[in-house]
Amino acid sequence: MAVFTPQIEEKIEHYLQRYETRRSAILPILHVIQDEYGWIKDEHIKELDEKFQLHRVHVQEVATFYSMYRLKEPKKFRILFCDNVVCCIMGAKQTMAKVQEYIVAYEKAGKDCPFSLEGVPCLGVCDGAPAMLINKDRHLKINPDNVAEYMERYAPLP
Amino acid sequence: MGDTITKVKILTQYEGMSNSRSLSTYKEHGGYEALAVALKKSPDEIVSIVKDSGLRGRGGAGFPTGLKWSFVPKTEGKKYLLCNNDEGEPGTFKDRYILELSPHMLIEGMIISAFAVGAQKGYVYTRCEFFDEIKWLDDAIKEAYEAGYLGKNILGLGFDFDLDQYQGAGAYICGEETGLISSLEGKKGQPKLKPPFPAVSGYLGCPTVVNNTETLSAVPWIVKNGSDAYRAIGTEKSPGTKLFSISGPLKNPGVFEVPLGYPMMKLVEEDAGGLLEGEELKAIIPGGLSAPVLLPEDVKDLTLDYEAIAASKSMLGSGAITIIPKRQCMVELLKLIMDFYHHESCGQCTPCREGTGWITNILEGFFDKSATVDDIDQIYAICQQMAGRTICALSDAAMPTVGIINKFRDELVSYIERGTERERFSYI
Repeated sequence: MAVFTPQIEEKIEHYLQRYETRRSAILPILHVIQDEYGWIKDEHIKELDEKFQLHRVHVQEVATFYSMYRLKEPKKFRILFCDNVVCCIMGAKQTMAKVQEYIVAYEKAGKDCPFSLEGVPCLGVCDGAPAMLINKDRHLKINPDNVAEYMERYAPLP
Repeated sequence: MGDTITKVKILTQYEGMSNSRSLSTYKEHGGYEALAVALKKSPDEIVSIVKDSGLRGRGGAGFPTGLKWSFVPKTEGKKYLLCNNDEGEPGTFKDRYILELSPHMLIEGMIISAFAVGAQKGYVYTRCEFFDEIKWLDDAIKEAYEAGYLGKNILGLGFDFDLDQYQGAGAYICGEETGLISSLEGKKGQPKLKPPFPAVSGYLGCPTVVNNTETLSAVPWIVKNGSDAYRAIGTEKSPGTKLFSISGPLKNPGVFEVPLGYPMMKLVEEDAGGLLEGEELKAIIPGGLSAPVLLPEDVKDLTLDYEAIAASKSMLGSGAITIIPKRQCMVELLKLIMDFYHHESCGQCTPCREGTGWITNILEGFFDKSATVDDIDQIYAICQQMAGRTICALSDAAMPTVGIINKFRDELVSYIERGTERERFSYI
């Protein structure tokens, strides 16, 4: 079975042409792969090397250096919670504790929880602190009392 | 300065307008008029106007923009203009506001700047997490191409310029201009040794100018209104307006455009509405996380310009003002700051990679009660060996640490002596 769908291969080709060098296209191509498959698998990197002549070492160094790339199979909803200074002053850690409680409650119900939680440095929206991203959706002014409502919109407790 | 400071709106002139991001709104209010003026002048004239305006880099370093441009060799061949839109300094969210209001202002600024430095190709490097903003920028670039502001023979005046956007992938270090170039080349975002400076050898070894979003966005107004008009705003050494992003426990946090030299406390108390009920001011970080903290007495009469803040031994930086309330424990704050720099160190230089790690390890000891008062001096000593000894300025992260030790030593000592039982990170 082909590693990439024809649509993804087309996008990869597009980026290889779009920038000044093929290597410059590595970051955008990894974004495309992650958007489509949820994470970057080893077979993706191998295919980029063999079929698109992007050196494995070059791709690997980018994939491991930048923190937004996922190299392990992710949960369906990836929560990136800002735990930098402003968000923490405004209560990020207490709110993150509630996110964790939600995840634990989900798992206690015997179901595989679709959320993962990571603390990330500054999302650039400090005027709406505490802030979090659930996949690509930005949520602002999250606090211990309202965070569960946000999570319920994605996956209510079983 | 009294209460009657006139606030000229340059970067925020589209504030409050419906559909402010669209090309039609932008044009309706004078957008792309500066471009027509600029392309009829010579590139040298544009460089002179920007030099005379006194515009300084708004990303943090405050380097004179026109001077930076004049370093580009006047040789034939490929040159690049890069917009540093990788806004990642914690507390900073001003460039986001420009994209939210008027991405065309940035595009127009980039075309004029590219004409001035002789660049044929430009990229806007935006941080990964700005998903909506990247879409808005994409839409605006598309509109600009369709209207003939980008591409070949712009406005029929013989200048060619292509513009594209590039999405980062979550690395603070890519906000450093040579780190940004490495990233755009498809590599790890590791900074490069200077010299050679990017103006001589940057992206793919070609002459490259890297400017911040806010800097580039100010260019159309300067070209249209003249350098004297820009100089008339702000102070003599810090002319013009600046965006300040102010956050923390405030009634009205946000982005405000004020003339440089504006009183800090006026911004805090009037524009940002003052602190929330029940909060009391403990300290202010005046220019992004890398800037040393200031005490309430330091900022009482402080004005927001490069010179005044430098004189108070901190820096204006990116214009990110963070309010630290009384309830905030400074040991925890210091730990948050150092965790950040340790995480974001690119790993190239030993003083930064190891130094940030050592400091976070020592700070761990504050929490598990193994720290002694000598550890404060140990942190101080490590800081002395970090700043200025690395390829880029990230190791200057030692600066805020030294700042906190200098201003809050008593609190750190008492934290150790009390063997504090408090739960970690129990804010409020």
